[in-house]
Amino acid sequence: MKPKLITSLALIVALVMVSAPLLAHHGTGVAYVRDKEVTLKGTVTEWFWANPHCGLLFDVTDDKGEVVHWGAELGNPHSLSEAGFSRDAFKPGDKLTITGHPAKSGAPRLELLHLVLADGRVLPERSVKGNGVHLDDPGQ
Amino acid sequence: MRNRFMSSAAALLVLMACSCVTFAQTYGTKGYSPGAWKPDELPSGLSNPKPFDPHNLSGLWSMPTKPGYFERHSLNDKPIKIAPNVPPQMGSDAYPPPMTPWGKAKFDAAKVSYGPRAVPPGEGNDPVSTCEPMGYPRDLWEANLRPFEFVQTPDRVLQHMQYHDLWRTIWTDGRQLPKNPDPGWNGYSVGRWEGDTFVVESNGYDDRTWIDHFGNPHSDQMRLVERYKRVDADTLELDMILTDPKTYTAPWVGDKITFVRAKVAIFEEICSPSEEGHFNDTIRDPAVGKSKP
Repeated sequence: MKPKLITSLALIVALVMVSAPLLAHHGTGVAYVRDKEVTLKGTVTEWFWANPHCGLLFDVTDDKGEVVHWGAELGNPHSLSEAGFSRDAFKPGDKLTITGHPAKSGAPRLELLHLVLADGRVLPERSVKGNGVHLDDPGQ
Repeated sequence: MRNRFMSSAAALLVLMACSCVTFAQTYGTKGYSPGAWKPDELPSGLSNPKPFDPHNLSGLWSMPTKPGYFERHSLNDKPIKIAPNVPPQMGSDAYPPPMTPWGKAKFDAAKVSYGPRAVPPGEGNDPVSTCEPMGYPRDLWEANLRPFEFVQTPDRVLQHMQYHDLWRTIWTDGRQLPKNPDPGWNGYSVGRWEGDTFVVESNGYDDRTWIDHFGNPHSDQMRLVERYKRVDADTLELDMILTDPKTYTAPWVGDKITFVRAKVAIFEEICSPSEEGHFNDTIRDPAVGKSKP
């Protein structure tokens, strides 16, 4: 039991540290609540790989059985590539567990922190700056 | 067994994540034990003591990322705390001279997403949100994240910004600034050498661009004087003075900017209006409760 707890805690700490700086881009700090996180299980409806911002749209079924159309804000394709994302990372119908900062307005939009794919893979794989530089690369 | 593996993997991840933070704070210490000296404690150019031609500005440059250094986004670089949960590195305040009534009205009309007046981008009117040209000098501040490059030819120096793929032509063939130019997004620029300093003067800027993402305005009367000087092989300094009597009651003297040799490659970073339009329609605007009619 104890190792499992340590594992979980360590994973959470690692994920938060790895993913937090990925999404530093235009004005997001104002639109989203940076000290809150939501985690949702969703089904992808659209993934667009676009300059200068990528986006993920997904459906979430709420407690009442209603389908809510959610969306997640991501950074530019270059930095996302460096973080392990790709143009064909997701397709409609994919099941994902998505964590992010919720919109201040209460609208079903979030600033992505990290997500878990059906096969257990976690994105982003590493932390990068907006220019795609890996934060573990000294001298950058 | 599986638990042990998972614990080890998790511990490794934590270590990697920790080291990201540590290494990110050791700019300029290449060749030294990371963390042993702070970058400011190192002699200038010590890590790369190589010869250089002071009249050759070619190559990639960017602003250094240093511990306690706030990303610079304007002529001045004093840090500002934007909000309790927003890292101060996301913005630095700008300290323009007092504005004229014309300048103040333009400043008040700017709905920005950075600094003390920030609103969510979906409620703002920052030209960059719809991929309108950033213009000069605003695009230069992006060099705190992305590189720009100088390309020298016999009659011109080209300043190429990665962000929005801006190409600025600085004429060095002896021509003077145009007397009454039609405004351009990036203005008109001429350059000359004064000793080892490359002096660039420019005018004819389109007044639809902002000077920075704090919404500081300018008019089509804006003139810039920039003085670039290589102080060693890997360091380029810039002093900039902005004059715009229609907007500001005094010249705006910028803080010195230090660029270093960029350690990253330059790559395409276009702002595509149609792609950003789709992002605005599906993510940015709905995030503030706006939806497409």
